[in-house]
Amino acid sequence: MISFTNVSKVYGPESAALDEVSLEIPTGDFVSIVGQSGAGKSTLLKLLSAEEAASTGEIIIDGWDITNIRRWQIPHLRRQIGVVFQDFKLLQKRTVLENVAFAMEVGGAPTKEIRDTVPHILKLVNLLDKAESYPTEMSGGEKQRVAIARALAYKPQILLADEPTGNLDALHSWDIVQLLIKINKLGTTVLLATHNDDIVNALKKRVVTISQGKVVSDQQDGTYKL
Amino acid sequence: MSTLGISFARITRTAFVNFWRNIWLSVATMVIMIITLLMISFLYFANVFGSEVLQTIEQKVDLSVTFKEDVQDQYITTIADELKLRDDIADVRVISSDRALEIFRARHADDPLIEESLQELEDNPLPANLFIVATDPQHYANIAKHLEAEKYSPFIDQVDFENTETERVVEKLIAYTTSVKNGALVVTGLFSLLVVLIMFNTLRLAIYSFREEIDIMRLVGASRWFVQGPFIIEAILVALVAVVISSAISFATLRAISPTLSTYFFDVQQSPFSIYDYAVTNIESVIGLQVVLAVGLAGISSLVAVRRYLRN
Ligand SMILES: Nc1ncnc2c1ncn2[C@@H]1O[C@H](COP(=O)(O)OP(=O)(O)O)[C@@H](O)[C@H]1O
Ligand SMILES: [Mg+2]
Repeated sequence: MISFTNVSKVYGPESAALDEVSLEIPTGDFVSIVGQSGAGKSTLLKLLSAEEAASTGEIIIDGWDITNIRRWQIPHLRRQIGVVFQDFKLLQKRTVLENVAFAMEVGGAPTKEIRDTVPHILKLVNLLDKAESYPTEMSGGEKQRVAIARALAYKPQILLADEPTGNLDALHSWDIVQLLIKINKLGTTVLLATHNDDIVNALKKRVVTISQGKVVSDQQDGTYKL
Repeated sequence: MSTLGISFARITRTAFVNFWRNIWLSVATMVIMIITLLMISFLYFANVFGSEVLQTIEQKVDLSVTFKEDVQDQYITTIADELKLRDDIADVRVISSDRALEIFRARHADDPLIEESLQELEDNPLPANLFIVATDPQHYANIAKHLEAEKYSPFIDQVDFENTETERVVEKLIAYTTSVKNGALVVTGLFSLLVVLIMFNTLRLAIYSFREEIDIMRLVGASRWFVQGPFIIEAILVALVAVVISSAISFATLRAISPTLSTYFFDVQQSPFSIYDYAVTNIESVIGLQVVLAVGLAGISSLVAVRRYLRN
């Protein structure tokens, strides 16, 4: 369970990127966060991964109050939260396999565990045959699948996807969304920030709409409407 | 292997990758570090050598007291014993007039003319002497003054510095070693600052060239030690390799020049001081000093660099 209670985030002195947001997301949910560019979607996700700190309010993940998380605790939090971005953030000079293994190495996983786990994850995202390829040799959709594989390396409870289809064509976008649904079905809570109305409408899942930092609608089986 | 062990192995591996990725920067840093260590080693050895030379020369200086011709030996012995009690006097040697004559004869053994003229004299023409070695060359003036006192005047004819030339050399040497010590401090300070600045900037660039990895590391929850460790270990590795190279260079150099230095500055017949032997005997402190300095500088610069450029 993720809960936001009256959370605000102000970057500059005047505008509030998030304004008194309250939201509850049960474990295992699939939530689309929609809204125009600048609405505050990324900010919402960044608060969860502790890339940004809330200005006011309270954020609790599975009973853990991360509102004022200490710096040394952030790595622990991030190992429970997978993140995926529009620009993939892959290491260009490393193979697909190495990119995924890197995340596990950094977390101190034993070499044997890495060797056993990575092929499973690559299989899950359907990239086992590309294990030795480099990101530069791959399509955008494939790169995003590598990024998702990496995010899954820790078996996170939560997956944050910030515009994961932003750089992809319709076909590849749909491909990625299918993958996110599959991951959600395996038990991971998924938060998908997007402004792609086709995808949101086809998903038929919970939709939270944000506008100018405020939650303006929150619907099960929602649609994209602005 | 424990998690900590695994992490350490991976962090060290990353440190090597860092090193290679910026190989020219790493080499440049290392060269500066080596130059600094060599400067410091040079000053250290110059100081040791200077003090040694000084000590040898100091031992050669003494104060010679010439007694009046008719002073009896017992007075001379009394005065000598009295002087020995003084704190500023290390040694007093008495050369009686008989002994002086013996030495004189031995020295001119192959000169029949001198032998003849000596035999013509009835009395021993040579006065008795005292040679005084002070605990510190600075004390000679005081001792000489003491010997000018009223109570000695019936016995003492003359007080001289054995060799005023040597005295001047000693003064110069003292000045020289003092300035070497001061210079050593200044140079060490300046070069250390240079090393810190260059290392700091090298690390800044290394961190910059690793920003992609670092971003991703943070994203996937790498601990701070995992992100920062490689840069600190890289700096320490550079420092340790620099110590090895600098020590190799200074030991090889000392070995090559030590015999020449020894024959030039010290009497050959006594066992001469060898700076190379000194270095070998004191190898732990010679290398230890460099390790402490190099690792200290590397540690400071890398800690400041990661603190500054790897926050969060
Ligand atoms: N680091 C930042 N510093 C200052 N303002 C920011 C920063 N990040 C986002 N903002 C501002 O906060 C608002 C919300 O941004 P963001 O959460 O990125 O929106 P979205 O992801 O919905 O496009 C925008 O007005 C944006 O300009
Ligand atoms: Mg955004």
